[in-house]
Amino acid sequence: MNSLTSLDLPMASLPMASLPMASLPMASLPMNSLTIAWVALPLFAGFVIYLMPRIDRGLALGVALASAAYSMLLFFQPAPLTFGLLDRFGVTLLLDPLSGFFIFTNALVTAAVILYCWETGKSAFFYAQMTILHGSVNAAFACADFISLYVALEVISIAAFLLIAYPRSDRSIWVGLRYLFVSNTAMLFYLMGAVLVYQTNHSFAYSGLSRAPLEAIALIFLGLLVKGGVFVAGLWLPLTHSESESPVSALLSGVVVKAGIYPLMRCALLLPEIDPMVRVFGVGTALLGVAYAVFEKDTKRLLAFSTVSQLGFVLAAPEVGGFYALTHGLVKSSLFLTVGNLPSRSFKELQQMPIRRSLWIALAIASFSISGFPLLSGFGAKVLTMKSLLPWQVVGMNLAALGTAIAFAKFIFLPHCQFPPESQSRSLKPGFWAAMLVLLGGLVLANAVYYEAYTVENVVKPLLIIGIAWIAHKLIFQQANVKLPRAAEKFEHLIGGMSLMLILVFWMVFAWVAN
Amino acid sequence: MLEAFVFATILCGFFGIVYKQNLVMKIISMDVMSTGVVAYYVLIASRDGLKTPILSEGLDGASVAYADPVPQAVILTAIVIGFSIQALMLVGVMKLARENPTLETREIEKGNTP
Repeated sequence: MNSLTSLDLPMASLPMASLPMASLPMASLPMNSLTIAWVALPLFAGFVIYLMPRIDRGLALGVALASAAYSMLLFFQPAPLTFGLLDRFGVTLLLDPLSGFFIFTNALVTAAVILYCWETGKSAFFYAQMTILHGSVNAAFACADFISLYVALEVISIAAFLLIAYPRSDRSIWVGLRYLFVSNTAMLFYLMGAVLVYQTNHSFAYSGLSRAPLEAIALIFLGLLVKGGVFVAGLWLPLTHSESESPVSALLSGVVVKAGIYPLMRCALLLPEIDPMVRVFGVGTALLGVAYAVFEKDTKRLLAFSTVSQLGFVLAAPEVGGFYALTHGLVKSSLFLTVGNLPSRSFKELQQMPIRRSLWIALAIASFSISGFPLLSGFGAKVLTMKSLLPWQVVGMNLAALGTAIAFAKFIFLPHCQFPPESQSRSLKPGFWAAMLVLLGGLVLANAVYYEAYTVENVVKPLLIIGIAWIAHKLIFQQANVKLPRAAEKFEHLIGGMSLMLILVFWMVFAWVAN
Repeated sequence: MLEAFVFATILCGFFGIVYKQNLVMKIISMDVMSTGVVAYYVLIASRDGLKTPILSEGLDGASVAYADPVPQAVILTAIVIGFSIQALMLVGVMKLARENPTLETREIEKGNTP
């Protein structure tokens, strides 16, 4: 983390005038210092947990709450907070309400996962890694230059690997190794792109991307698409997210993939010529993910494929993606935590044994939100995204919304009863309900962000979509017995797919961005 | 010319990751690829000059063609990160080697995918 070594520099002496973004209004100095302290806090706390294992959970929770408080400050900033450390080639930070949404998601999901794990006897090592992961994800949401982003993404890879491999079983190690391998190879391509940006601008800031050679855009895009689990490049994601332990899956799906998505959105907002590419990938991944999800017979794999698809909604309309990312993070982590407590992972077996009603209610609330049902903030987010689509995106995204509702009808129509037979009823820990309170409560309260969505026209459309989806579910997909091949998820195909993806991105860049 | 060699190194590493069967060979291929990327940074840093960018007495900065220190400093970070990731991977491979002594990727994958 040598990008943070400039902490003790007096802020006033920084050569602000040489920054590429110097034209933007400068924020006050206390806010700058606060930001740096906030970025450093989780990394510092992570190491303190190693030294003082006894206060592990409290400290980790405190860090998450501090992030939540900080993100609230961002929503009330009059102007985007932007400043750089060192010279023009140094670390650049950019914080505005968009990053506020992502940071808030990160804070809530981390807090919920810590509460969920409170009584499970996880070692201090687990909490230390989780805190470091939280900090590096925060750093990825705060920075505005390619090298800080690189460092943040690589620290995320390492911390996520250690969390995935926490059970130390052969399978978990292989899944983690596969993740680390794929993301590290992608980041090597990304590094090549980053140096090309530097060569033209003598700075690594995002804003230099438009003047950089076209190859730079293609290489950086490839790295971020793989890291963010988008489209074909994201096929590593289903196995990784479904084979990890539930709390780790919740973290990975809820926030970690968004560290790859956020820079894509940020670039699309800064540079209008890149915007269509990001939107195309949004529609593509939304349809690809949902096509797999509707035929999936395994609960956790369905959730993982739905993550691939939901990221598409975030990318499809970058200017409003922050709110969607927040609702998706809350929904997906609550779903992963709930599904981890079901007696089986297979839908076929779950049809035979009724699940506990209280669990079903949690599951249904989250499923309704992700399908876009009114009263939950998934509705507002979907309305806002649909409103900001370009005309050519509308059909694809509505199809994806329909597919999502079909996929989650599988959860809503699971049989349930008040007192299931003794054999399946593992007692639920109080930590589980605390986590649900944070996530689902957040989901209800987040309605306030976009309450203008509640008009008759807006309410009728999702109800119609959900209605059609349930009919389709009953008539077709409940009986359908299609097994999609998993060959594309093999390790060598993932790496090979990366080269195909590179060709595709190159073609897109040369065809669209060049003119 | 040098640039072509650098790209050849990167491609060799990339194809090694795809075509080598053994997990350790794959990791070494990845190292070859990252060596190529490091060399590319060094190459770009030396576009404007080759001298070490350290100011010393009797030399004034304007007349000497210095190498650009920024890409070199940045790639130092990347080397350290790459090194730690490889160390982590090799520890994982050691653990896997107990059950799969041949370390054939396909065998490991078959045994560990549902």
